[in-house]
Amino acid sequence: MDEVVVPDSRRWIDEHGDYLYRFALVRVYDSNVAEDLVQDTFLAALQGTRRESGPTAERRWMVGIIKHKIVDHFRRTAREPLHDDSRWDVPFKDDEFLADGHWKPAVGESRGWPDHPDALLEQKQFWGVLACCLDKLPPRAAQVFTLREIDEMDTEEICRLLHLTHTNFGVMMHRARKQLRNCLSIRYFGRTEEAVQS
Amino acid sequence: MSWVARLLPTCQEMSKLLSDALDRRLPWHIRTRMFVHLRMCVLCEQYRHQIALLRRLLRLTNDSHSAGVQVLQAGLSDEAKERIRRALDSSHS
Repeated sequence: MDEVVVPDSRRWIDEHGDYLYRFALVRVYDSNVAEDLVQDTFLAALQGTRRESGPTAERRWMVGIIKHKIVDHFRRTAREPLHDDSRWDVPFKDDEFLADGHWKPAVGESRGWPDHPDALLEQKQFWGVLACCLDKLPPRAAQVFTLREIDEMDTEEICRLLHLTHTNFGVMMHRARKQLRNCLSIRYFGRTEEAVQS
Repeated sequence: MSWVARLLPTCQEMSKLLSDALDRRLPWHIRTRMFVHLRMCVLCEQYRHQIALLRRLLRLTNDSHSAGVQVLQAGLSDEAKERIRRALDSSHS
């Protein structure tokens, strides 16, 4: 009864490969890393045994594995300096505000955002622009931002995982949000670059 | 009005506080001052809405199969599939 069934790993690649790759890609923003994570996931799956059966359970099982792999990856890279984070060593220029702390009129006026996310759901162009904007975040900020905003991970947990102080975490999230908001306003919601620089 | 404004956070401070509020619970006295500021300031209210919408949009990518979200999501290249296939095959033997 305990006979080991050799899993049909070729079928896995076809059935789950793209899904897992996308799952990883929106989290690590690096196609090479995402590919490696998928491979590691299948290798780990080969070693393990799945308790439930059925195609949905198989998918869920693999998502569970790749989640761990992604967190491992973040933990590993948290110790290495990410080379192009130097941009963030420059004091953060809050240049969207006047000297008295009010929004500069042009920056403040980012109208055109919808009230509800459903309005954007089928707008292919929007998601393409969003992907570009995410890509422009510095790598460490992208990690932190992703864990919080996509994976809904708890603030405490992220700080522990990536060895961040709460202050650092808060600053990174703030900059990432502001940068994404501006990027989307300019590139999708129709605010002009000129208006921002004025 | 101006003495009230001096007790309240500036828009610049608000932008940071609004971000913080999405990640942790702020003390009540700060929340109260933010609330009053938001009531008076269209641009901060707009910013609050936009960063919250951004979060909702990103969380949609977790399980949405809509045509739009798919664009954000590429597939494995054929080369990558082949590479993974070889890696799996060699781990069998």
